[in-house]
Amino acid sequence: MLHLQNIRVTLGSFHLKDISLDVKRGEYTVLLGPTGTGKTVLLETIAGMHRVERGSIFLQGKDVTRLPPEKRNLGVVYQDYALFPHLTVRKNIAFGLKLRGRRGNKTEETIKKMTDFLGLGAILDRRPAYLSGGERQRVALARALVLEPYVLLLDEPLSALDRSTRDRLRRELKRIHREIGVTILHITHDLTEAFFLADHVAVMKDGSILQHDIPEQVLKRPRNRAVAELLGIENLVPGTMGKKGVLLTSLGPLNLPIPGSQGMKTGNEFLLTIPGWCVEVLTGRDNARYVWKGTMIVAAVNFMDGLVELELSHPGGERLRTRLSRREIGNMGIDVEVGVELQVGILKEGVYCISGR
Amino acid sequence: MVGGFFWDMNSFRTIIWGLGTILVLIVVVPLLRMILAADPMVLRSTVADAEVMRSILLTLRCALWATLFCAFFGIPLAYILARWQFPGRSLVQGIIDLPVMIPHTAAGIALLMIYGRKFFVGKVFASVGLSFVGTEAGISLAMAFVSLPFLVNAARDGFLSINPRLERVARTLGASPWEAFFKVSLPLAWRPILSGGIMMWARGISEFGAVIVLAYHPMTAPVLIWERFESYGLKYARPVAVVLILLCLIIFAALRAIAAKRREA
Repeated sequence: MLHLQNIRVTLGSFHLKDISLDVKRGEYTVLLGPTGTGKTVLLETIAGMHRVERGSIFLQGKDVTRLPPEKRNLGVVYQDYALFPHLTVRKNIAFGLKLRGRRGNKTEETIKKMTDFLGLGAILDRRPAYLSGGERQRVALARALVLEPYVLLLDEPLSALDRSTRDRLRRELKRIHREIGVTILHITHDLTEAFFLADHVAVMKDGSILQHDIPEQVLKRPRNRAVAELLGIENLVPGTMGKKGVLLTSLGPLNLPIPGSQGMKTGNEFLLTIPGWCVEVLTGRDNARYVWKGTMIVAAVNFMDGLVELELSHPGGERLRTRLSRREIGNMGIDVEVGVELQVGILKEGVYCISGR
Repeated sequence: MVGGFFWDMNSFRTIIWGLGTILVLIVVVPLLRMILAADPMVLRSTVADAEVMRSILLTLRCALWATLFCAFFGIPLAYILARWQFPGRSLVQGIIDLPVMIPHTAAGIALLMIYGRKFFVGKVFASVGLSFVGTEAGISLAMAFVSLPFLVNAARDGFLSINPRLERVARTLGASPWEAFFKVSLPLAWRPILSGGIMMWARGISEFGAVIVLAYHPMTAPVLIWERFESYGLKYARPVAVVLILLCLIIFAALRAIAAKRREA
């Protein structure tokens, strides 16, 4: 559906470098990256607002690189929604249809169907200034969706909302995608949002796409340190390949083969990515699924909503973070506080070995 | 000290209000004095004076032409200044502000040296029957030259206050650049443009220096006031001035009210 081929864009001192991306029909792709990384520039480039220096953009197999925005049939929803303040909700939604010269009963029906679908029936005659954040977002979605765009481009559409509205609208976006089947490219810096919604995740940093895959794969096998950090993987432990496939780390040697370590030679450096959920506090039962076991000391206890984060320190100097539910902590039968020694194991699944540092 | 904050606040307010009020009085007192000193009988005869009414209407009309003329060229320029970065942008901005700074008699002379009958541009226009010396066109030109910053700057600020994303979204919804301008940018900047236009018109009406160089005749109201003052003295100049001031006050109050109503709508 949407295919970017080695796109290069320069805006002042900022560059999009050699970006390639494939979004298939009906897919929900999330472009994940920190603020100031060029996500919005990329989205606006796809929409036709910036000049492409090099590379091509294909829509439905057609080269649209030089087409102006109005000829691309893409829908855009911005973080601030960019509703026309001088027009009512109804006129905002009808804006694009009117420009296409579409009036009459059929058009009215199209608008009605969309506003019913998004629950906007009661606010059609209001101006944007009198709408809540959630309502504005749905109006912006309706305005783009009535035109049946090839791709719906969403620029941080949930960032400006309070938490409960955001949670609700996240589900709403999923429902819209499921029921309308529109192809979506959604940009965000929010991990929860990305993994909640995405069929595919593209991780972006400093004007480049670092990795593009299904969420599970990106989480399980981050391509490099930058991706692992952006994904919020709690523990990154460096090490060196020892003899006979033993992985030497500051925690000590790990003896089981770990995904990603095959093919590495003795002396090669690597980085282990260990998600917090792989770090378990042992309660007596031994288990072969652990790639490493040892004694660690609780260095900090941080209360987060619903979970407790433990910072554990190893005599070798390494620190690991893990998150436990309160029930799990209760089941341990000991007071978990700073200075307490715990037996800790690292689960095999979830750990991945990135070649290099 | 207990109560210190409030005491400080009170003295602060008193002084700030005092300073502001003095400036308002500097404007209002002379005008009021002049209006109140006018003899109603003389005022009535002034209103009945055909020459006075003719010159006032001429002034209003020429200032209106000047404003419309500048709107046609000035709104696009304001849009350029608000939306695009280009080399020499601040130079262009400075040029637009120039008419505020230079003495208006000097501006009149400068215009005369381009549009005068002896000069090239003047000759070109003369060949199509348009003369700028001693004509309404000349008066409008002089007014336009000295008052255009009011319109251009207000329109530029109006465009600057619009989120550029609105125009971009309009484009993705199928609008051409022209449609985005006329359906989104212009309607949203309309109020500042209108108020800039009112200011420009007002400034045009009051113009004396540049107008008198290009066109002593036909006589605009400021020129007529000057002429009566020179020929007959204060007593005869004053009623004309009072009539002009009252008329302008009524018109501007009405226009401001209309502009304010649009805001509420």
